[in-house]
Amino acid sequence: MEIYAQILVSGFSLGSFYALIALGFSLIFGVTRAFNLAHGELIILSGYLAYAFWKFSGLSPYWSIPVCLLVMPGAALLLNLLVRRLKAPFELNSLVVTFGLALFLQNSMLFLFSADYRLIQPETVHFFQVPGLPVNLTENQLMLLLLSLAATAAVHGVLHGTFLGKALRAAIQDRQAALLAGINVGRIGMIAFALGGMLIGLAGPLYAQTMYLHPAAGLEATLLAIVITIFAGVGSTRGILAGGWLLGVAESLAAFVLGAGWRELVSALLLISLLVFRPQGIVLKSGT
Amino acid sequence: MLSKIKLTAITAVAAVVGLAVWPLVFGEADFYYQIFGMACFYGVLAIAWNIYALSGAISLGHAAFFGLGAYGSALLCHYGQWSPVITIPLGAATGAAFGVLWGVFFRNLRGVYLGLATLASVEIPKVIIDNWGSVTFGSLGIVGIASLPDLSLFGLEIPFGHSLKAQYYLLLLFLALAGLIHYSSLFSRWGWALRAIRENETAAVMAGVDIFRRRFEALILSSYLTGLCGALYAHLIGLIEPALVFNLHISALPLVLSIFGGRFALLGPVLGALILYPLDQLVLQPRLPTGHEAVYGLVLIMTIFFFPKGVATWLLKPRPAVWK
Repeated sequence: MEIYAQILVSGFSLGSFYALIALGFSLIFGVTRAFNLAHGELIILSGYLAYAFWKFSGLSPYWSIPVCLLVMPGAALLLNLLVRRLKAPFELNSLVVTFGLALFLQNSMLFLFSADYRLIQPETVHFFQVPGLPVNLTENQLMLLLLSLAATAAVHGVLHGTFLGKALRAAIQDRQAALLAGINVGRIGMIAFALGGMLIGLAGPLYAQTMYLHPAAGLEATLLAIVITIFAGVGSTRGILAGGWLLGVAESLAAFVLGAGWRELVSALLLISLLVFRPQGIVLKSGT
Repeated sequence: MLSKIKLTAITAVAAVVGLAVWPLVFGEADFYYQIFGMACFYGVLAIAWNIYALSGAISLGHAAFFGLGAYGSALLCHYGQWSPVITIPLGAATGAAFGVLWGVFFRNLRGVYLGLATLASVEIPKVIIDNWGSVTFGSLGIVGIASLPDLSLFGLEIPFGHSLKAQYYLLLLFLALAGLIHYSSLFSRWGWALRAIRENETAAVMAGVDIFRRRFEALILSSYLTGLCGALYAHLIGLIEPALVFNLHISALPLVLSIFGGRFALLGPVLGALILYPLDQLVLQPRLPTGHEAVYGLVLIMTIFFFPKGVATWLLKPRPAVWK
């Protein structure tokens, strides 16, 4: 029993992080219809940035978060410049171009950081007892949970509480109608990329503290983001959170029941099943 | 004035003759045999990818067929103790069997969604082979796979097993055969049906094209040919492991080569392979031992922006009359 409570809690913490990973993808895809296959690679890049900063500055790993939060939106905006110039068929072209970008980033990271596995490891590990449950959380897991939830809540707040959020949601729902209503869709797309870049920036350092960084690790994160986005439909923060939790718990369970090697299969199988059996999931009422 | 078809045919014949004759002029050069042999090999892989792409499908997961072909042949060779001559065509069928699964499960997916599904599907055989250690040797991979047997033909010994020159000619022959398959897929009635599906599915149905069957046939041909490449690779290199043969690069390379060369042109995929691979190996690899493959990503991005139809189509584009 105890072990299942532990799995549930760590799956929950991991799932919140998955939701954070998916949120950036979903925002960018929803607003601009650009399929960013390099999403995971950008997160890994941000992770390496955090690792390098932690290694050379000697500060607490959390100081790398503001650095990544500043740098990664820049990278995302560059990507926006690239993607905006694409011709029709836009979705397929964006898929192929970002696939190329993913290859480029993977190999550049291989060159810069070598193929070794890297992890930000604090010297001392603090444990926290979860009240009412026989479960221990490490400081890492706790921060992962809190920061992911805070970021998701912040995005939810922006989307549903501000005028900008209204414009973003309008662009997600129907680009043409948003244009007719006087929304500058191009600029809104830029803002979506910048926000997505900030989410990528936050996800990187957290990734580097939780999972091993490896130049080829990005694909798995990209698949995760796509699975959750398709499950939730674009632009639904609550759906993304629910999807992230389900996936996190499912992966933790699979790793416990079948063995850690089978964990990677969960997101791939889920993605294929969602695409095959629920193809309408990702397309909103009026797709363009 | 030369027509496009004639020009293409002359280029193709000239290229094959050129590739066949240069070793006679320059003598022994194992390094170049290896590089141009592999360029021919990737040319076949690009053609295999392109046959499926003729129907409009952009696959991001051909590594699944490649890896299954490699494992199929290597395991048959290991457990059955058969000659690679038999296990290569049989092992490649494992790739085609996975192609059948794609054809059945992905039949309603198009465009981006098909691309995503194919990308994710590579994980399935990879994770299974990784974890089924008792049969597949798991993530350690298989080492010491039997090399290709030597062939004696009319008293002439052809050492495919250890001579890079013999292997080079074998791969060149393989490329020429694949080129013929590509030619007949492009210009047969069957090929026109495929291209009709790519351009407009509804119109193709109205014209009497059985879109499910044509697409399925293209997929099977493409996956078998890719499986064949994988099986050949296992015996040429002698060792395979899941991370190597199910690598993202194996999926990416034929896509990059075809799109760069021109996926609508007969010689496009081959041109891509013969230009890019030697460029990568001869120019970039010595300078950047790790990470030189970044060039494929860059080339893919640039091609989409500057030559969306590929270099071959761009070269064959009708010029203003003054240029003729």
